[in-house]
Amino acid sequence: MEIWSALSRAKRGFRDDLRLHVVAIASLVVAFLCLGTALLSVENLTRIASRWSQTQHMTVYLRDQAKEADVAQLRLVLESLGEISKVEHISAVRARELFAEQTNMSSADLAQLPTDAFPASLELDLADGVPSARIEKIAARVQRFAGVEEVETYRSFFGQLRSLIDAGRSGALLLSLLVVVCVLAVIGNTIRLAVANRRREIEVLKLCGATDSFVRGPFVLEGVIQAVTASTLAMLLLFVAYAALHGHVESTLTALTGVRTVFLNPLTVLGTIAAAAFVGAIGSALSLRRYLQV
Amino acid sequence: MANPGSGRKGNVVRPSVFRGKHRDDAPKPILVMEEVYKYFRRDVPTLRNVNLTVERGEFVFVTGPSGSGKSTLLQLVYRQHTVDSGRILFSGRDVSRLTDSSIPFLRRNLGIVFQDFKVVPHWTVYENVAVSLEILGTNARLARSRVAEALERVGLAGRGNERTETLSGGEQQRVAIARAIVTEPALLLADEPTGNLDPQLAIDILTLFEEIHEAGTTVLFATHDHSLLATSPHRLVVIDDGRLIEASQGLRAWSARMQSLGASHAS
Ligand SMILES: Nc1ncnc2c1ncn2[C@@H]1O[C@H](COP(=O)(O)OP(=O)(O)O)[C@@H](O)[C@H]1O
Ligand SMILES: [Mg+2]
Repeated sequence: MEIWSALSRAKRGFRDDLRLHVVAIASLVVAFLCLGTALLSVENLTRIASRWSQTQHMTVYLRDQAKEADVAQLRLVLESLGEISKVEHISAVRARELFAEQTNMSSADLAQLPTDAFPASLELDLADGVPSARIEKIAARVQRFAGVEEVETYRSFFGQLRSLIDAGRSGALLLSLLVVVCVLAVIGNTIRLAVANRRREIEVLKLCGATDSFVRGPFVLEGVIQAVTASTLAMLLLFVAYAALHGHVESTLTALTGVRTVFLNPLTVLGTIAAAAFVGAIGSALSLRRYLQV
Repeated sequence: MANPGSGRKGNVVRPSVFRGKHRDDAPKPILVMEEVYKYFRRDVPTLRNVNLTVERGEFVFVTGPSGSGKSTLLQLVYRQHTVDSGRILFSGRDVSRLTDSSIPFLRRNLGIVFQDFKVVPHWTVYENVAVSLEILGTNARLARSRVAEALERVGLAGRGNERTETLSGGEQQRVAIARAIVTEPALLLADEPTGNLDPQLAIDILTLFEEIHEAGTTVLFATHDHSLLATSPHRLVVIDDGRLIEASQGLRAWSARMQSLGASHAS
């Protein structure tokens, strides 16, 4: 089988040009690490976004001087709405307490915060699947009630998160393109040097009746093996780094975002390695077309 | 089948596949050159009107001064170059009309030995010989026994594991010869194979070619070393001013001819 012969000759190529291949793989590992880090960030940002857009929540801030009767009436109206599953009244004092619990602030520090920093509010949980247009409509209606200071639907916050994720996505895409260019350049150059180092071998093969594909096979394989080795190594390194950092930052991140962080999903990892193999093959094939006149 | 590519799956492409539909005819000469011209410069042909027939089992010396076109003649046979006019029939098939993709299949029927050995120095002796079989797709077990046999024929039995660059020049040339004969080619081409070796080694290598010839291989041996020609009884052709001259009575007759030619040039 020609593939086995190509494989054994590629092995010989690695043996004979070991330093060249090690240097190439090392630089490719760096490139794939950058890509992996970007993918990991995008993956987790996306999870945060989808988690937050699922928790349908609305806060109605009340004026300090709001009358109890007005608030009670507002509560009644809200509870009668099918879109609202739960209404909870948080007093100014309770709000201050909750903040203290969440932040572990000392009571001395807490006392220094202005009194109007913690308005009383009605916290509303929305039923699943309420369209955002309807939410905006409800918010507008609630705004007109006496005693209501402001209605927060968190829409603009989602908008900001969305654009952050979009920016992350474009960044990752740009980085992927850069990595592709880098892989093409590194592998192309390595194969060019390998071809130069093995002129005699190539000449011998041709004189003994080797076909072009027989001569080229091992070089293409070497490019693929380099890319696959480098991308696999980078993924492993990234995973080790993730596992090591995970324990330290997980609780803080989870508290901040309400979402557990995850590593890249296996399909993304496999996809990256497969794409690396493909780009590696292209890189060596392009280089061979230029530098191997068989 | 006429297509030489059909031999891809076999271990060795036999020249019979080049014979095509004439399979039943009487055996053809292994090599026929008809009115071959080769120009590297316009108006000055390196080879002009070369006619040569080599029968199966022959040993033919090609000689002539340096730069006379001996290498070119051989290169036309293994399609390093293509004739500008005329035909070269190898086993009845015109090699100058082969497409580029068929050239490998032509070369699988040839063994070629060069002045500079063309072995891969950092490969082992075994790897350098086995490469011809690897190209044919011979399985590893058969390859091992064939390589061992070839190494024994060239006097390097048991040295397969040595790095080729650690061998002496004469031994490296033996490795190259083993590589050329391990596929049992129909025709063995040698281009000054003794040119880089001192005289005693040169004679040893020639003796090796004669042994290979006696075992049935056709040999076309290019050399400008007259000391080798003087001791050999084989057929001799001379390239002079691009023309091929048969020196049928051996070297002496050829020298006489050369002298008379020189005289006639002078007159
Ligand atoms: N590839 C080539 N390009 C141009 N000229 C060539 C080439 N190969 C050979 N020649 C010329 O053809 C002539 C014969 O060369 P060659 O066949 O090598 O002679 P020999 O082998 O008898 O010494 C020389 O004049 C050489 O310069
Ligand atoms: Mg020559």
